[in-house]
Amino acid sequence: MSSYKFLLKLFRLSWNSLRANIFRSFLTTLGIMIGTTTIIMVVALGEGAKKDIEAQYSNMSVTTILINAPSTAGEPSKLSVDDIPLVKTISTVADAVPMLTGKVNISNSDNVTNFSVVGTYFDFAKVANLDLVSGQFFTQDDEDNHNKVAILGATVAEELFGTRDPKVIGESVVLGKREFEIIGIAAYKGGAFGPITIDESVFTPYSSAYRYVLGKTGKFSFNVNATNVDVLDQTMDSLTSILRESHNLGPENADDFRLKDMGTTVASAQSSSQTMALLLGSVGFIVLLVGGIGIMNIMYVTVSERTKEIGIRKAIGAKDVHILTQFLFEAFILTLVGFVVGAVTSIAIYYLLLSMGLKIIFVWWSVLLSFAITFATGMFFGYSPAKKAASLDPIDALRYE
Amino acid sequence: MNNQIISLEDIKKSYFIKDTEFSVLKGIDFDIKKGEFVALMGPSGSGKSTLLNIIGALDKPSSGKYHIQDRLVSDLSSDQLADIRNKYIGFIFQNFNLIPTLSSLENVALPSFYTEQENYDRAKELLSMVGLQDKFNNKPNELSGGQRQRVAIARSLINNPEFILADEPTGNLDSITGKEIMDLILSLNKKYGKTILMVTHDPHLAQLTHRVIYLKDGRITKEKSV
Repeated sequence: MSSYKFLLKLFRLSWNSLRANIFRSFLTTLGIMIGTTTIIMVVALGEGAKKDIEAQYSNMSVTTILINAPSTAGEPSKLSVDDIPLVKTISTVADAVPMLTGKVNISNSDNVTNFSVVGTYFDFAKVANLDLVSGQFFTQDDEDNHNKVAILGATVAEELFGTRDPKVIGESVVLGKREFEIIGIAAYKGGAFGPITIDESVFTPYSSAYRYVLGKTGKFSFNVNATNVDVLDQTMDSLTSILRESHNLGPENADDFRLKDMGTTVASAQSSSQTMALLLGSVGFIVLLVGGIGIMNIMYVTVSERTKEIGIRKAIGAKDVHILTQFLFEAFILTLVGFVVGAVTSIAIYYLLLSMGLKIIFVWWSVLLSFAITFATGMFFGYSPAKKAASLDPIDALRYE
Repeated sequence: MNNQIISLEDIKKSYFIKDTEFSVLKGIDFDIKKGEFVALMGPSGSGKSTLLNIIGALDKPSSGKYHIQDRLVSDLSSDQLADIRNKYIGFIFQNFNLIPTLSSLENVALPSFYTEQENYDRAKELLSMVGLQDKFNNKPNELSGGQRQRVAIARSLINNPEFILADEPTGNLDSITGKEIMDLILSLNKKYGKTILMVTHDPHLAQLTHRVIYLKDGRITKEKSV
């Protein structure tokens, strides 16, 4: 069969004829470029969205149920910290902690910042899996005595003291208008925990936050964990009936609280991001398809323009396979150039979007994926014009003017 | 050793249009020996082009046997025919048939490209031999008609074929240039001993060859040694 060097020469031949019509070649391959870029960008965006969702819910367990009061007009919700002991009586509830949150000015002698204060119970540290870099979490004793003690999240510590690990245990911090003693600094955690972002919060005993800082302005919610994921539905039913009873709601009244189980929330967020990726992916595929048809179209034009040349080549001894290879190489080069330019463009766009703060993540296999789809398209659509060129009758082709 | 280059035995060719058979060649027999220069003459519609296509291995006869030397050409596959055209036959066409995007040198070397032994050295020699030593890099549209035909003649020789098939080589040229080209073709035969079959309308040109074959209505009507 044909030697490597001969194939290289055929390749040069194709390259030269594309260069002879450089602007047309560029237009032909434009669809392939855009398709390649689209596919790589879609994968990067999809991956970014996926990681974003994972980060948002990284501190959540699938057994977590969030309970809060809907912020609708009408009767104020009776949801309160007094419901906690009742909730804890449910056998499938592993733990339940209240969270009273609100944004206040947080300051020391040097800096003033604005972050969330979270009033909660001492077992929050265990529920949220919170580690401390120094000091310790507050105790039931602090809760009972409304002690003004605070644990700073990593970002709060950084903003106030310039480091995530300041040696400030025993110093004071002003939450709203009251001075609290810093008794612990939380380790950096990343991500959210239900309605709060741990690193951007200051934790105090529930009673202290209510009494000295937030009062009735705080937003109230529970974080409940079921013992395992199988009893989740059962637990939610039990919670509903216990809370309705505790709030004295008759059959005619609607719930004055809302249950949200995190497993379902995560799943639906993931599925909507997947739907989006699929949608954008189809757009990329359609662009490539149209690009492929563009290649086919122009190659048919090329073949008929060069009928005479094909006739001459065949008359002086070119075999069908030589002509076929020559034109397939043209399709190949068009797709290759389109792919390379498209891939480089997508990397440029990637860094541009990244610098604009968009959450996207480049994944190497998206390049392979777009490569595979691009080439399948290019070769598929390039084959039939190349075949037509190869099977021209030299006598007819020579006579063609 | 057989010194016949071309040997045609009862070559017939017919076409079907719908169900009607049109017989174009009705049994052609002739031989051409090594070193001969033969002219083929005949009016339009005599089957001359069809015969030329068959001898040029561009087409296959409906029946009959065509040998080039000892090789039976009439029942080869299309790839094998391409090989025959490439190695055994040198083509000179009335309208030159050069590839417009290639230089003279590339055009001349083209048949050797398809033998996978591209031979630019020989292409340069041949272009010099036909008097175009300073036109290696010119494209066909930068050359005169006579120069183009010289490029085509150089091309026909690159693979050192068994014979040259010239289809009215001076038909598109003025009389002075035509004479120059005819002299060149004659010298290929005289100086280099090339076997040549030339189709022509011009009886004066036919007079310059060794032998003239007249074709009419698909048959040889007359064969005359000059």
